[in-house]
Amino acid sequence: MAVKDLNLKINDGEFFVFLGPSGCGKTTTLLCIAGLLKPDKGEVWLGNELVTSAERDIQVPPQKREVAMMFQDYAIYPHMTVLKNIAFPLEVRGEDKSEIAKRVNATANLLGISQLLDRKPRQLSGGQRQRVALGRAIVRKPKVFLLDEPLANLDAKLRVKTRTELKKLQQELGVTTVYVTHDQVEAMTMADKIMVQRDGVAEQIGTPEELYSHPANLFVAGFIGSPEMNFTDCTIIEEGKRLWLDAKEFKIPVPAEVVSKLKSYVGEEVIMGIRPEDLYETKSVEGATLKNAFRMIVDVIEPVGPYLLLHLRKGLLSLVARVKHTRARVGQEVSIGMDRNKIHIFDKKTTKAII
Amino acid sequence: MRFPKLRRVTLYILLIFFAFLFLLPLWTLITTSLKTDEDVIYTTPVEPPLSPTTEPLITAFNLMKRSLLNSFTFTIAAMILSCLLGSINGYILTKIRFRGSNMVFLFFTIGIFIPYQAVLVPLVLTISKLGLYNNIGGLILTHTAYGIPITTLLFRNFYALIPDSVIMAAKTDGAGTWTIYRRIVLPLSLLPFVVAAIFQFTSIWNDFLFGVALARGPGARPASVELANLRGTTAVTWNLLMAGTLWYALPVLVIYFALAKYLMRGYMAGAVKG
Repeated sequence: MAVKDLNLKINDGEFFVFLGPSGCGKTTTLLCIAGLLKPDKGEVWLGNELVTSAERDIQVPPQKREVAMMFQDYAIYPHMTVLKNIAFPLEVRGEDKSEIAKRVNATANLLGISQLLDRKPRQLSGGQRQRVALGRAIVRKPKVFLLDEPLANLDAKLRVKTRTELKKLQQELGVTTVYVTHDQVEAMTMADKIMVQRDGVAEQIGTPEELYSHPANLFVAGFIGSPEMNFTDCTIIEEGKRLWLDAKEFKIPVPAEVVSKLKSYVGEEVIMGIRPEDLYETKSVEGATLKNAFRMIVDVIEPVGPYLLLHLRKGLLSLVARVKHTRARVGQEVSIGMDRNKIHIFDKKTTKAII
Repeated sequence: MRFPKLRRVTLYILLIFFAFLFLLPLWTLITTSLKTDEDVIYTTPVEPPLSPTTEPLITAFNLMKRSLLNSFTFTIAAMILSCLLGSINGYILTKIRFRGSNMVFLFFTIGIFIPYQAVLVPLVLTISKLGLYNNIGGLILTHTAYGIPITTLLFRNFYALIPDSVIMAAKTDGAGTWTIYRRIVLPLSLLPFVVAAIFQFTSIWNDFLFGVALARGPGARPASVELANLRGTTAVTWNLLMAGTLWYALPVLVIYFALAKYLMRGYMAGAVKG
């Protein structure tokens, strides 16, 4: 089973992203919305129309649904010119010729491919093909766009550029869009809302901000964010009427506002997560207290450009910190502090977030 | 460096020898069909004619023209029908899968392995019951039916190379099953159509068994059956027989040479993905 027990509401005009590793069921979900797959159980509603119901044996065929889909390999018709490709959805719907010409031209202008209309797909570059596929999807003004990894086959530079354009286009057209990707940067930058999927199960649904700041479980926490969130096993201990997180290599007091949530875990092991940008080198941050700071050895320094990544090590603990600048050298010991309010704690058994 | 050169020369000698061996019957076919009755007796089959004449060719053509026309009619009709049906089958079996479609395909492929001899009696009975004995229609029906398994297999293998996403895209674009076939699948099928057409033309044109079983009468008799009659009843007139054979073999040769390029490409398309 590729998808199970999925319950999802997508609002009008929303840019909704299905995010997850390959084989997690996101494309399957998309195909069910399009009507290209029939689920064994459950229903699909488009607006007020019930288009799929396994129980009531309703399956509106894809051609009768107001959805347009764009495929990862673009699925351009190889024997047709760009013009014919874009006109195809209108032609099969029996629109009249002058209307077709008008709308194809408008679409081509919008996407900047007017000069390519007479070309055959094999004469086009990857980026141009992607536009043709997009043009074919938007020309018929559907109620819903379904985009299956539309940027996956573009080179890195073009992908970033197209990402912005696509987002802008969606805002202009205001069409409800469901977008499938395994790239969390794409999801974060484009989405109004994201569903993180794994093994056919929705791990979390929320805005990019919610997923980033309040991941519901260990999987979402690890999947979103680059470089990945640091994880380490900790024990919750009670000492001097305070709760502490004890990670062997460091020990920090639990922030007062979350004490109540962790009370029942005293004596138990939990997983602590902290994002690299929430770690800092006390030396280079003005006014940073050395209280609760701990010392680690710099293993590797990766200059990314706008920031540096410090790979730190102490005993069995290794952490990555994202810092603006550093004077430290590889092999040196530095003093590391963390923003305690940004700590995430996960239950070790259920992997669900406690805070 | 001497050794590879020697090998190359040996290779060429061998190849020329085999080509010669292979073309010898064709050579005798052409020489004999240009010989007078006397020349047939006075020369060996391999020798060129002493006094070349086109008379056997003209006589043979006059004797065979009715049956050649018959053959052309049912071969082309059955070729077109079996290719079209094979294409539709291939499309349905690969792109519009339904419950049990693999089973159906299995039955189609079994059809390829049934020897014609095994079905001859029921076939003749069926065709007679349909009132199509000694009739071009009977031959068209039979050859179409027996062509479908192989054309289905051929088209199915070719259509498996068309990405499913193209079909899914056409569906969401608003095209139904037949519109997709007509506007997407069919225009992409030139190559398999050429390959299937050559294959079908050759095998239907060359068929003797169905022809002799279903259409002995002059009205529908195929050229292959007429050719056998050219042998005569008392003595074999070799020059006439060879001339008839030449006329009979000509269409297949012409088609093969004209379309060989596509045939090779078609075989490759089936063999290598992408």
